[in-house]
Amino acid sequence: MHAIRPTDDVAPRPAPQVRVPEPVVVPPERELDEVTLVVRAQEGDVRAFELLARRHQGVLFRVAVRVVGDPADAEDALQEALLDAWRRIAGFQGDSAFSTWMYRIVTNRCLDLLRRRRPVVPVDEIGEDRLVASGLAAPGSRGPEHAAEVDAGMAALRVALARLPDEQRVCWVLRELEGLGYTEIAQITGATGTAVRGRIHRARKELAEVMRSWR
Amino acid sequence: MALDAFPPGLSPEDQIEPLACGRDAADVWDHAADGVPDEHERSCPHCAAAIADARGLDGIVHRMADEVPPPPPSLVDTVMEAVLNTVTAELRPQDLLALYSPAGPARLSRPAAARVLRHVVDRMDGMRARSCRIEQDGLALSVAITVTARFGVDLASVTARVRQMVVAAGKQALGTPVARVDITVVDLWEER
Repeated sequence: MHAIRPTDDVAPRPAPQVRVPEPVVVPPERELDEVTLVVRAQEGDVRAFELLARRHQGVLFRVAVRVVGDPADAEDALQEALLDAWRRIAGFQGDSAFSTWMYRIVTNRCLDLLRRRRPVVPVDEIGEDRLVASGLAAPGSRGPEHAAEVDAGMAALRVALARLPDEQRVCWVLRELEGLGYTEIAQITGATGTAVRGRIHRARKELAEVMRSWR
Repeated sequence: MALDAFPPGLSPEDQIEPLACGRDAADVWDHAADGVPDEHERSCPHCAAAIADARGLDGIVHRMADEVPPPPPSLVDTVMEAVLNTVTAELRPQDLLALYSPAGPARLSRPAAARVLRHVVDRMDGMRARSCRIEQDGLALSVAITVTARFGVDLASVTARVRQMVVAAGKQALGTPVARVDITVVDLWEER
C-alpha cells in the first residue's frame, strides 16, 4: 500500500503545476483483462459491464438456444440473464470463474422461461416442424442430397433433446455440446457432482435409444 | 429469479445403475467417448453395448456441437439500454460526490468520477487501473485505487506518478481536491 500524507489544505486552489498530459498510450478497454472489467463493473462502471456482456454473449446465446430450443426465447432469456448479472455482479465473489457464474445465471433464466412456457407448449408437441420453423433444424450448408439423412437424424436428435427433462438437458448440453467438466457443471447447476453424472448419463441413454434407428 | 433452480438432492433419477458386469455405466461411456476403454471394457459384452451407444451418438453430437448460432446483433444494445435506465433510476444520494461549485450545487456520480480517475491511469504507459473507490469528507476526496502494471516498469516511480496524476485530475477534471491517494499494485502483466 502506498499512501501519501493527507494534504493540510483541502480548499480549492488554483490548478497545480502538474498537468494531465495528452494520451501517450491508452490501452483500448476491449483489451483489458477480465478481472479488471469485473472489478470495474462491480463498482458501477457501465462500460466495463457492456464489454463483459459483449465478450460472453456468443457463448451464452449458444447455450440458451440449446437449452430452450428457440432463438427468440433464447434472446429473451439472455437479455433477462444479463440484466440479472448487472444487478448481482457486486455480489460475485470470484469463487468460480466469471464464465461459470454467467453460465449459472443464464441456465437458471432458461429454466425459468421453460417453466413459464410449458403449459402453453407441451414438450411432447415440440416437433420437427417447430424446430425447422425456428431455424434450429435448418439443413446444413453442405446441402447435397446425401446430407438429407444426416439432417433428418439431426432433427430427430433435436426433438429427442427437447423432450428430455429440463435439468437433464441443461447438464447434457453443458457436457456434450459445451465440453464442460462435471465439477464445473455442478457449480453451474448447484447440483452435486453425483447428481450431474446421473442426469447426463440418463440423457445419454435416452438420446442413444432414440438415435439407434439412425445408425 | 430463483438462483437455485436445481434441487440439490439426489433423486432416484440422478442415480446410475451399474452394468450387469458391475461397472459404472457413466464411466464406461466416458471412456468410450474419450476413446480409451480399458481391457475389461473392450472384452465385456455388457460394456460393449454401452460403448456402441456412446460411439453411435458421438458423430451426430459432434456435428451439433459444431453449430454456432450467432447472437442477434442488437442483443447487448437492448440490454445496455435497460441497464442505463436502471442506473439512472436507482442512483442514490450516497452515490453522488459534491463538486466544488460556488455558484450552486453540482454533483457527480461516484462511478463517473471513478471512471475519470481510472482513465488517467490507463493513459500511463504500462499502467492500468482496476478498482477505484472514492470517499468524500467535506469537499476533499480520498481515493483508494488498485492498479496493474507491465512487467519491468519501475513501480516506485510509476506509483508516485499515479498519485501525482490522480491529484491533478481531481483538481483539473473534477475541480475537487484529492486529499489522499492509496495505491495498491495488485497484478503484473506482460505485453502481448
